[in-house]
Amino acid sequence: MQAKFAPVFGLLLPALVFLPLLAFLPFEIHGGGWGLIANFFGAALRPSLTPSLLASACSGIAITLAVALWSWLLSLVIGIGAGLLSAPTVSEAFWGCRWPADLLRRLLALPRSLHELLWGLILLQGLGLQPVVAVVAIAIPYGALVARVVSDQLESLPQAPFQALRVAGAPSPAALLTGLGPSLLPGVLSYGGYRLECALRSATLLGVFGLGGVGADLRLSLQSLQFHEAWTSLWALALVMFLLEQGIALLRRRWWQPGAVVGQRGRELLLLFVVLLLLLFPAAQLLDLQWQVLLGPWHWPMDQQIFQWQAWWLPWPQLVGSTLLLTVIAALAAFAAAPLLLLLFSPWALMQPLLRGLGLIARLLPPPLTALLLLFVLKPGLLPAALALAFHNAGILGRLFLEGLEAQDPRPEQALLAAGVSSRKALLMARFNGLAAGYLAYGAYRADVILRETVVVGLVGAGGLGVVLLEALSSFAWADVLPVLVVYALLTLFGEELATRYRSFLLHKHPQKEGGAPTRLQLLAKPMLERA
Amino acid sequence: MILELKGIVVPGRQRPRLNNLNLQLNRGERVALLGASGAGKSTLLAVANGLIKPACGAVYWFGEKASSGKRRQRQQARIGTLWQDLRLVEELSVQQSLNCGRLAVWPWPLVLLNLFLPLETNACAKVLSEVELDPDLLAVPVKQLSGGQRQRVALARLLRQGAELLLADEPLAQLDPPLAARLLELLLQLGAAPRSLLLSLHRPDLVQGFDRVIGLRNGELLFDGNPKSLSAELINDLYAQN
Repeated sequence: MQAKFAPVFGLLLPALVFLPLLAFLPFEIHGGGWGLIANFFGAALRPSLTPSLLASACSGIAITLAVALWSWLLSLVIGIGAGLLSAPTVSEAFWGCRWPADLLRRLLALPRSLHELLWGLILLQGLGLQPVVAVVAIAIPYGALVARVVSDQLESLPQAPFQALRVAGAPSPAALLTGLGPSLLPGVLSYGGYRLECALRSATLLGVFGLGGVGADLRLSLQSLQFHEAWTSLWALALVMFLLEQGIALLRRRWWQPGAVVGQRGRELLLLFVVLLLLLFPAAQLLDLQWQVLLGPWHWPMDQQIFQWQAWWLPWPQLVGSTLLLTVIAALAAFAAAPLLLLLFSPWALMQPLLRGLGLIARLLPPPLTALLLLFVLKPGLLPAALALAFHNAGILGRLFLEGLEAQDPRPEQALLAAGVSSRKALLMARFNGLAAGYLAYGAYRADVILRETVVVGLVGAGGLGVVLLEALSSFAWADVLPVLVVYALLTLFGEELATRYRSFLLHKHPQKEGGAPTRLQLLAKPMLERA
Repeated sequence: MILELKGIVVPGRQRPRLNNLNLQLNRGERVALLGASGAGKSTLLAVANGLIKPACGAVYWFGEKASSGKRRQRQQARIGTLWQDLRLVEELSVQQSLNCGRLAVWPWPLVLLNLFLPLETNACAKVLSEVELDPDLLAVPVKQLSGGQRQRVALARLLRQGAELLLADEPLAQLDPPLAARLLELLLQLGAAPRSLLLSLHRPDLVQGFDRVIGLRNGELLFDGNPKSLSAELINDLYAQN
């Protein structure tokens, strides 16, 4: 008989990556530094509470929040605009052909392919240390990502209401707004909320690389081993992130109530929009945003040739190979962590809040800082980099996994429990199985994000394209930057295509149940390039 | 005695869902549970399979008091429930679903192997044929089955579980009359000694094949006796509005 894999099998298989990781770990420990790690965790309970430090932590958080808010709103404006323009439905309605939309979609792949850190470093070279650099660096790739999601969502909606309005003589913009707008809104709102959380994480990360805010404070505190000070910032950041996540979850639930009518939702949205606008002014003042610097002059080093043949001779197989290896290890470990931990600890009720807390720490600690901490006990190389990336992404994946689990139909699990099956086995067979396809699909997307993120852990000697790129950028060697940038972009675009095809295949094989509020996992797992 | 409920109270929002309910079920007995919607039939079955722990009273399974932890799991493994909404794991194949019946007793390696290998095919095919389904269905995903097939797969899972007490919550509710009659016949046949059957019904005309009928009204026992003694008057009482 032909073997049939249960979906949950694909969810457990990646956990095998922990076997080689655990096997190699003892050889990668350099012997010292355990005291430092103990001090770091010990300091969590005694953060520094001196008034000057508290004030500095608050100011750092305020700057990071301001960068996150501005970059997020800018990315939404760019993303929704570009998303509408790159949707074939819109293109056909306005211009009678779809090629302008197709062309724009292809062009938008380029800004999306580079991590915000790379955009930050490129803009930093051209504009100098300006607050606007961090905002624009996040807004560019985020805008392109939002555009893709908006246009994909628009295309996957049933077109019949829009066509009916058009046939009834409604002008195209009105038909689009009325026929597709209300169906598009929940998805865009949910995704928009998710992007705000991402923007906060990215703004913290850019701070680590010198662009100000709480990330810069954290790096300084950790490098000077002032762990009590680091924890002041970390706890403050944790509080902000927790409040933000809860607030967004609350709005999501409220706006997705089956009874919520468009008018009521619209009024609340408008109110939120006004509040956000009012927040933008103090945020701009705090950052001292000077948009005019974007108009120039840009300080590109014009004295050197940007294209030099010899710069293209690099050990590509080794560079690409180690980038991919880092991605695969980090992605598998991040993917498997949440299901594995949950399965191991499910019988103990206290473990779930503990895991949630650990996930929050994982999400708020930028991977380069985790890597830095790991260097206290591990030798520099691929392992600390992979573990740091895995830890951060496990926090993000874990949260969506738990959210998805809670939204699962509890009845199959209850049936197994009532038949005397242990809670672990029931969890595995019922809830995990129900969630597996969606989680795998999202995991594919996350692997694609991790591939882009490999660049941020370059500093711990992980090797790969990221290190070469960062070195070339910081030494202003533009001729060296170009080939690595091109290969890196090609690799991430290839990764994106692969992930999209895999997601499409998975969701085609295991269609997600319709009805009720889709979980964020379902929404994010939707193949972004899938055509209706 | 296979099941004994003593003084069971399950609180509800307006009135108790079960109020001081006593019930005994012997091995080999096939009992029909009658009552209007909201009479407490599903709650009684949920207490009987351990899904709901009563606020007052005691549950005895197979002569032992309902326990907790691993011991409770072992007790529950001997009770099989055919849920009204079936509660099958949609993502699994029929064979994997049938093997879910063995999860309570299987060690972890088998639980994991079941996810990607067809295990104990003969035993699965046997229970499938006992419920009059073609063994060719073993490899088919549950979500591709028809309503009637799904119901039989759920029933076969109980057989695979080796349940000694079969509980069924309105299994005939959504079936057309010929299918319902055939399934009832099958349930009565499978619920005969050495097993026992406790089945909730909404149609009093279907109780003739049972050994005993229990009538519930507003969470209380109104009637417990032979199906032949079920008079029109009693039925009217059972379904009368409060």
